[in-house]
Amino acid sequence: MDLLIDSFLSALLLVTSLDPEIVSIVGVSLKVSGTSTILASLIGVPFGFLVAFESFPGKRLLITCLNTLLALPTVVIGLFVYAFISRRGILGPLDLLYTQKAMVIGQTILILPVVATFTIAAISRIDGRYRKTAMTLGANRMQTAFVVFREARFGIVAAVIAAFGRVIAEVGISMMLGGNARGFTRTMTTAMALEYDKGQFSLAVALGIILLVLSFGMNLLFHFFQGRARA
Amino acid sequence: MIVYNISQLTKVYGTRTILDIPLLEIEKGLIYALLGPNGAGKTTLLNILGFLESPSTGNILFRSHPVRFSETFLQPLRKSVVMVEQHPILFTTTVQKNLEFGLKIRRIPTKERNQIVKESLDLVGMRNFAQAQAHRLSGGETQRVAIARALAANPEVLLCDEPTSSVDPENQVAIINILRQINDLKKITVVFTTHDRSQVTSLAHHSLFLDHGKLAGSPSKNFYGSNKS
Repeated sequence: MDLLIDSFLSALLLVTSLDPEIVSIVGVSLKVSGTSTILASLIGVPFGFLVAFESFPGKRLLITCLNTLLALPTVVIGLFVYAFISRRGILGPLDLLYTQKAMVIGQTILILPVVATFTIAAISRIDGRYRKTAMTLGANRMQTAFVVFREARFGIVAAVIAAFGRVIAEVGISMMLGGNARGFTRTMTTAMALEYDKGQFSLAVALGIILLVLSFGMNLLFHFFQGRARA
Repeated sequence: MIVYNISQLTKVYGTRTILDIPLLEIEKGLIYALLGPNGAGKTTLLNILGFLESPSTGNILFRSHPVRFSETFLQPLRKSVVMVEQHPILFTTTVQKNLEFGLKIRRIPTKERNQIVKESLDLVGMRNFAQAQAHRLSGGETQRVAIARALAANPEVLLCDEPTSSVDPENQVAIINILRQINDLKKITVVFTTHDRSQVTSLAHHSLFLDHGKLAGSPSKNFYGSNKS
C-alpha cells in the first residue's frame, strides 16, 4: 500500500512540475494518436457514410466484416504491418520501422473499423424522412447526402472521439512498430510498460494519471456528442 | 390544363398490387382530395405523383411531357412538385434555414430568399418563429412550417399526406385555410389525402376514392363546397 501511495505522490509531483520527460512522452502520444485519428477519419468517415447511405449487394456482409475487425488485437496489426515494413518486407526500403510513421500506419489500421462502424451506426440512426424531405424539396443526390451527413454530425464526431480514445490507450502497435525509443517513439503506454519492467512506478503512475484524465475527457466529449446525436 | 395524365399505372410490391389505375387526369390549379381506407395506396400514389417512387408499369405525362423514371430525369421535376408528409420532419436547425433549403437549391439570391421566407411564414401564421429551433415546435406548428417550407420552393403542385391527421382541431382549421388560401392566391394544384369527408366538401374541387389500389369511379366534382369551379 505504501508503494502505491509513494508512487502516487511522486507521480503528482512529476505531473504538476511538468517534468520534461513526461511532456515529451505525452507530446509523442498526442502527435501519433492525433495523426492516426485524423487519417482514419479522413478515410473511415466517407467510407462509413457511403456504406450506410448506399444500397448494394453484400452490404450486410461488409458491415459484419467491419464489426469483426473491431476485435482485431493490436499485436496482430503490429505483426501484419511489421511484415510489410521490416527490412525484408515490400516497404522495407522506405525505412519505416521504429518510426512514428510506422506507428501511425498501425494505429490508423486499428481504428479505421472503429470510425467506419460508428459512422455507419450514426448514419443508420438518421430518420429516413430527412432523405425524402431533401429529395422532395428538389435536392440532388449530393445535396441529399449532405443533409443526412449534417443530421448525423454529432454521431460522427462521437465516432472520431471514440477512435482517439481507443488509439491513445493502445500499447501493442506502438511497442512493435515504434520500438519505444526515448524522445522519438516513446508513448505514454509504452513508457508505462517500460517503467513497470524497471520496477520504477512513479513515472508509470504519473503517465497513468494523465492517460486516465485524457480518457475521462474523451469519454465526456463522446457522451456529450452522443447525447446530442440522440436528441 | 392537365398537369398529370396517368395511364395504365400499376405499383407492385412482391406479389401484391398496391396500385392499379387505368386512367387519371389532374387539372392545374384545382384541389383534389384523395380518400380511402388505410392501405388503399393513397401514400404510394402521392409518392409517385411526387416523383419519389417509380411505378411498376404505366405512363405518366407531367405538363404533357412523358416522365422517365430515372434519377437524373426526376430530380429537376421534383423542383415543381413538393410533398408534405403525414408526420413531416424539419431539419435540426432554425425555421428560417428550413425554409431556405429549397431556395438555396434553386439558387435564389439571399435578399430574395429572406423575402420569400417571410412571405411563406406569413401565409401559415408563423412569422414570429423564423429564428426558433425547428425541433422545439409543437406538432401543429411543425406541420405549418413544413407547408411553408414547401410553399417557399414555389411548387406547381403541392402534395399533402393527411395534413391534419396529427394536429389539434384549431390547427386543423388553420391548415385547411392555408391550403385553400395558397390555391386561391398562388393557383397551386393541391392533392391531399384524408379520412375526413367534411374536409373534402369544404376544401376540394374534386375527390378521388381509392380502394385496394383501384380508383372507385372517375374523379367526382364537389358541388357542395365553397371551392366550386
